[in-house]
Amino acid sequence: MAQPAASLGRAFAALAEPTRRGVIALLRRKPRSAGELARALHASPPALSRHLRVLREAGLIREAPLPGDARVHVYQLRPEPFAALRSWLDDVEAFWTDQLTAFREYAERRRQRPGGGK
Amino acid sequence: MIGADRIRVTIVVPMPPAEAFEVFTRDVDLWWRRGPRFRFSRLGGAVLRFEEVPERRLVSDPGDGGPPFVVGRVIAWERGARLAFEWRLPNFSPDEVTEVEVLFEPWGEGTRLTLEHRGLGALRPDHPARHGQQGGAFTSAMALWWGEAVSGLRAFAAGG
Repeated sequence: MAQPAASLGRAFAALAEPTRRGVIALLRRKPRSAGELARALHASPPALSRHLRVLREAGLIREAPLPGDARVHVYQLRPEPFAALRSWLDDVEAFWTDQLTAFREYAERRRQRPGGGK
Repeated sequence: MIGADRIRVTIVVPMPPAEAFEVFTRDVDLWWRRGPRFRFSRLGGAVLRFEEVPERRLVSDPGDGGPPFVVGRVIAWERGARLAFEWRLPNFSPDEVTEVEVLFEPWGEGTRLTLEHRGLGALRPDHPARHGQQGGAFTSAMALWWGEAVSGLRAFAAGG
């Protein structure tokens, strides 16, 4: 595991909600303000504010001053949890790849053994 | 590769589909990797088998006289073509069932196997197992793996 499981669990739980996944999808392209996000996702500002808090607490996003205009705050993705998620998904896929590779090796040994195949 | 709530792995073996299906099911305990990462007991010593009685199912027998753990019922048993079975871990609740399907297709003189694990949306995001304390890396990885939250994550991860 690239990261403690509980921390990944928090990230997954945060992403189990469609509006929050929408926030992540929008922030993948560029940092945005809370107002922009609320308009794009047709969410009320208070509701969006709650979603942003969950994402922030899960470590998926952070708030930062807009470069060039420190009066405006924007949200941006934190890359670390996404790297951890990718690593974890790779682990899961590797589980099945290992199993099927073991099956292929077994099948090949069986074919080579006299009387083991036709 | 992962889609909405599934993962898929493909491999080619040097035997025709009927034989590949037979070896895959009959010899499951012989080829399935050993150790706690791959087996259903903490020590990894249990024996895996497809049973036919009272119904077709995949079980993990601890081999110490204790009751077998039922991984899942067999959903499809089409010799030489398709095998599908339910997939549960010991720490799943009764309503948390995912599904594994294996297709056996002719591929030259061999067989192409496509394994798809799907239905991961059945696992609740608040499942206590997601903290992964109950077993080895295998258990924690699988328990963390539930559906809708996974949707698109790999795409996010790949691009982000």
